[in-house]
Amino acid sequence: MKTVIVRPERCVGCLQCRLACAVEHSESKSLVGALGESIPPKPRLRIYPGRLNYAFPNKCRHCDPAPCQQVCIAGAISREPTRGVIEIAPERCINCGMCAMACPFGVLVYAAVWQVPEKRAVALKCDQCPAREQAGRRPACVEACKVGALTYGDWQESQEEKGRALAQAVFSGLLAQPEVVPSMPETIRLWRQLA
Amino acid sequence: MRYVIIGTSAAGLTAAETVRQFDRQGELILISDEALRPYSRPMLTYLLGREAGLENIWLRPPSHFHKLNFKAMLGEPVAQVDPQAREVYLSGGRVVKYDRLLIASGAQPRMLGIPGETLAGVFTLRRLADWQKLEADLPAGATMAIVGAGPIGLKAAEALRRRGHRVILVEAEPRPLPRLLDDTAAKLLQEHLHGLGAELIVKARPAAISGHQGRVRSLALADGRELEVEGVLLAVGVRPRLEFLHGTPLAGNAPLTVNSFLQTQYPDIFAAGDCAEAPDLFSGKPVSYQIWPAAVAQGQVAGANMTGASRRYSGLLAQNSISLHGFKIVSGGILEPGPNLTEVWCRFDERQGVYRRLVFQEGCLVGVTLAGEVTDAGLYFQIMTQKLPVKDLPVDPRSPDFHPGKVWG
Repeated sequence: MKTVIVRPERCVGCLQCRLACAVEHSESKSLVGALGESIPPKPRLRIYPGRLNYAFPNKCRHCDPAPCQQVCIAGAISREPTRGVIEIAPERCINCGMCAMACPFGVLVYAAVWQVPEKRAVALKCDQCPAREQAGRRPACVEACKVGALTYGDWQESQEEKGRALAQAVFSGLLAQPEVVPSMPETIRLWRQLA
Repeated sequence: MRYVIIGTSAAGLTAAETVRQFDRQGELILISDEALRPYSRPMLTYLLGREAGLENIWLRPPSHFHKLNFKAMLGEPVAQVDPQAREVYLSGGRVVKYDRLLIASGAQPRMLGIPGETLAGVFTLRRLADWQKLEADLPAGATMAIVGAGPIGLKAAEALRRRGHRVILVEAEPRPLPRLLDDTAAKLLQEHLHGLGAELIVKARPAAISGHQGRVRSLALADGRELEVEGVLLAVGVRPRLEFLHGTPLAGNAPLTVNSFLQTQYPDIFAAGDCAEAPDLFSGKPVSYQIWPAAVAQGQVAGANMTGASRRYSGLLAQNSISLHGFKIVSGGILEPGPNLTEVWCRFDERQGVYRRLVFQEGCLVGVTLAGEVTDAGLYFQIMTQKLPVKDLPVDPRSPDFHPGKVWG
């Protein structure tokens, strides 16, 4: 399954992903159009100040098994069979707050959406941009990220790649020639002897 | 192997699906007295308030049973279970033999035992049939009394207000949701109840329901007050449905006490959900809270163990979430200060209407109440279920910095 992979160490906290996410989940799917919509679109990921106050992007991990799916009393949360993504059906959501109680990552927000304008609020979280994935494009947040903190791919492959990079760094460190300490020029040594 | 599961709601359905994960060949029989495919009982109050339609309450598509090769015996109540002969007798006369039995028969509304409970216009709300009866019998614009300001009572009050009824909530304790909230959170909730237009009478016990020509006309309280109402909805809790165990060694034990593997005293009989009493997460003593998340979690454990796994149930944690008119409350764990070194910490942001109350015991977080802002509720429950000592956490739960960034970053 391809997912959005987060590398918090690269995040600079520019929040462009949030803007792109909100635009992608607006009715018009354009920044200018989104500004004029009666129900303002909400981003589905948040950037928190993490440990040492480095930026920490937090979004749905699409867990398997998903605790939110198990506690949903409305049957609104399901796993999309082909994409493997956990999705919330806004027309079934009853805004009860059970999913927030179950989610260990605190990714859920409750707000109104244009799909169901009659509802005060529904549970929202990352749906990994279904329209974009269908069209073979990357999710909006990944496209917006300029520093490679959000990438799109298979997480196992990404982990292997990270492992290889680490191994390479370790080996290149071991193979490096020991640094030669510059010795004092002969003339200076002799001059000091004289003095 | 022949698996028999009594009950097709949260626990029974989850257990059946879990059994299928591990045993694709075994015969799996689901028994329910309701001739309906699995539906969500908590949705009934939303159905009553017309916030959801009938098409929204079904938990699984119609083809689900067929796809997973479940044999369903719906619409036939269980008359008797014989643990020695390993047989289940249905009231229609059929006998079902089992190798592993799961009792997930759930619970039914508790009645008050006061005069007049059989009158027309006295309702409960637990099954779809109860909702149908309410829809059929409830006069438009009638004044309704709801006895019990628990989760069901409150959600029913909201639903009936949406339908334009006058609603009077009657609660025996001094505050709504007495088992989940303290006074401050209850006060916040009361404000929202007031905003809904529902009246709340606390510290009041119903004494009798009186009627005229077989219909409810008033509800008399124990202190002498008389409420003029045209309908009474009883929401005073539930009791397990285990009548079919009558005459077996399991009888007289309601709710059914199970061990950490959700087995009863018969190793081939398991129990899960509202009818079972599983070990508490903190004390280990058998408890029953009748909550959806516990029923699903127990269904998973029982289903796996029925196929021969030895999965241990991590323990029951009281937890509930209720949303009233958009105002959310999440509460769980130990909420009453106990005698052994309990610390209670509260913070109330009056301006934003946000309340946090945390209960600590022996260096661990054991109880939490969040009102108004519940987004991070899952974090608290995560450290509670893992029993992580507060000093080992990256950030103190009392701190305003307690959010996913500091915990997971």
